[in-house]
Amino acid sequence: MNQAPVSCIPTQSKMSKAKKVLEESREIQNPELDLADKNVSTFEEMPGLLNMTYVTRLTLSHNKIKVVPPGLANLINLEILNFSNNQIEELPLSLSSMPKLRILNLSINRLFTLPRGFGAFPALEVLDLTYNNLKDDSLPGNFFMMETLRALYLGDNDFEHLPADIKNLKNLQILVLRENDIVELPSEIGELTRLRELHLQGNRLTILPPELGNLDMASQKAVFKFEGNEWVEQIKDQLQLGVSHLMDYLKSDTYRMLYKRYITNKPPPPPPCVDKSKKISRIR
Amino acid sequence: MWNIKDKSPDVPVMGDFKDGKLFLRRKHQHDGSYKKFEDIDYSPVEISKPEVVGEKNVTKWITNMSRDNMACARCGDGFGAQEKIVNSTGQLWHQQCFVCAQCFQEFPNGIFYEYDGRKYCEHDFQVLFAPCCNKCNSFIIGRVIKAMNASWHPEHFLCQMCDMELAETGFIKNGGRALCHECNAKIKAQGLGKYVCHKCHSLIDDQPLKFRGEMYHPYHFNCTACGVELDGNAREVRNRSGFAKNDMNELYCLRCHDKMGIPICGACRRPIEERVVTALGKHWHVEHFVCAKCEKPFLGHRHYEKKGLAYCETHYHQLFGNLCHVCNQVIGGDVFTALNKAWCVHHFACSVCDQKMNQKTKFYECDLKPVCKKCYEKFPNELRRRLRRQHEATPKKAGTPV
Repeated sequence: MNQAPVSCIPTQSKMSKAKKVLEESREIQNPELDLADKNVSTFEEMPGLLNMTYVTRLTLSHNKIKVVPPGLANLINLEILNFSNNQIEELPLSLSSMPKLRILNLSINRLFTLPRGFGAFPALEVLDLTYNNLKDDSLPGNFFMMETLRALYLGDNDFEHLPADIKNLKNLQILVLRENDIVELPSEIGELTRLRELHLQGNRLTILPPELGNLDMASQKAVFKFEGNEWVEQIKDQLQLGVSHLMDYLKSDTYRMLYKRYITNKPPPPPPCVDKSKKISRIR
Repeated sequence: MWNIKDKSPDVPVMGDFKDGKLFLRRKHQHDGSYKKFEDIDYSPVEISKPEVVGEKNVTKWITNMSRDNMACARCGDGFGAQEKIVNSTGQLWHQQCFVCAQCFQEFPNGIFYEYDGRKYCEHDFQVLFAPCCNKCNSFIIGRVIKAMNASWHPEHFLCQMCDMELAETGFIKNGGRALCHECNAKIKAQGLGKYVCHKCHSLIDDQPLKFRGEMYHPYHFNCTACGVELDGNAREVRNRSGFAKNDMNELYCLRCHDKMGIPICGACRRPIEERVVTALGKHWHVEHFVCAKCEKPFLGHRHYEKKGLAYCETHYHQLFGNLCHVCNQVIGGDVFTALNKAWCVHHFACSVCDQKMNQKTKFYECDLKPVCKKCYEKFPNELRRRLRRQHEATPKKAGTPV
């Protein structure tokens, strides 16, 4: 009596949406593949995708992808890969070997860790890991070997420390650490001479390394965001006057003395203030 | 009549008309003084009393006088009873003795010229003694100007700069040229880097006032509005903008001028009376609206604004390293600048879904990345709440539509 379940139909139609895009793209050999918001949860729903080696951009944002197959690395011409707002918990190591990949967006996913050797990308320029669950020990040893990196987005994660290795990212222009649990910054941050955007809002910072004064964060080209930290009074006062005042102050002998004293006393860091339990990236 | 001699050392020596030495006149012989040229008038005039007249003399026949004690002024002999006697300038002659000292011919029409006690016919007088004008090369009858080591007709002795006649005003020798006082002052002022007042013709020592194309002492004028005597800060206002002639220009004191609402150039702080460029919320002279780096005027070419300054294309890219945030290449065509970054126009896209956006697309900002409205609405509620809070806490900077 009962026919095939009606509930199948929407699924079928949505699956065909992604398929349709793929077919159309194949017809015109379109190197830019837009599969955003296609209700895709697995790569099986996108047959033939991994053979479309001419693709240079693959956008899969706003889907429900949990697993990224290692075969994605077949797309050797891929330059832009966008997985924003999915449910990815793990990544294949093969990704790091994609020869032309320049922009990798993994924001709003559920990454707790990155694969070993993740930092092997030969050409990666922009890495967006905003809104995941990454912490100090999530990063593989070679993470900071990506010398080509221009922008590193680590906002909305659980980092407490930034490794001194950050200094290896010689081309870094943008570093976002917004709303982590950062307690202190390494003095090596002063070696990132090309840095022109530093986002430090919503952390547990009290003091800054004097070496930060070496960076031209007060220039017209630079952005320095600092709100929502437990700055010591001296820094708070300077910030009130402006970033240029802070930068001058960091370079002063007075501040070096203060910094030395503070580091030897090492008062306990302020408690985490941002409640992250509601982050959807926590959902298992 | 002569001009005061300027004794200042560095000023060219003032020339003077030389006495007309040649034109000695009997009338003045006794006191040995020479008449100056302008008093010498050789124009022939018929006058009945030749004793009084100077150079041009007319003979007079004496008929009924006692001839016994009279003698010819030339040969010393007496006169026959019926002989015609020539009486001229108080002396008597035989008719045959009253001749030109040069050609020994009678004077045509009885007109002769006397020089150094001798009488000459007009032709010989001119050949022997009359000066020749240095300009037109003809004889000068009448007034002679002796100046610059030459003789001149008064109407031919002119200022070598402005061609004004100098006979009445005198002249100043400047670098081998005869100049009128005005031209000389001008040259002098140029040498000192100063102007000569167009009204009083004296040197302007303080700030000059330019009015209708000429320089003046400001104190010759009063403000058109309030009537106060002007100073160097006075402003000339073009009454008919767009007209090349400045005959309608008027002068105002600085106070009145400022009240008139004339646009002021953001660079030189002076009023703009020609074309006005409006940019960066200010007015500019066309030639003063320049690249903040190379200072070359844009002259209508595209300019780029950054933090209240304008730049030419070259220097904007050079200074702000306008590499496209997506392709990391120098942006060839139009630049989209936002969020402390730059994009090729065709690379400006939502950072979440990679959909292209244009100038009109409203977008949200997250970590200084552009996020289209559709994507922002798909962000976790919890994240949106935090981003919103953050935006409310920090001064508005990015184009977050609300």
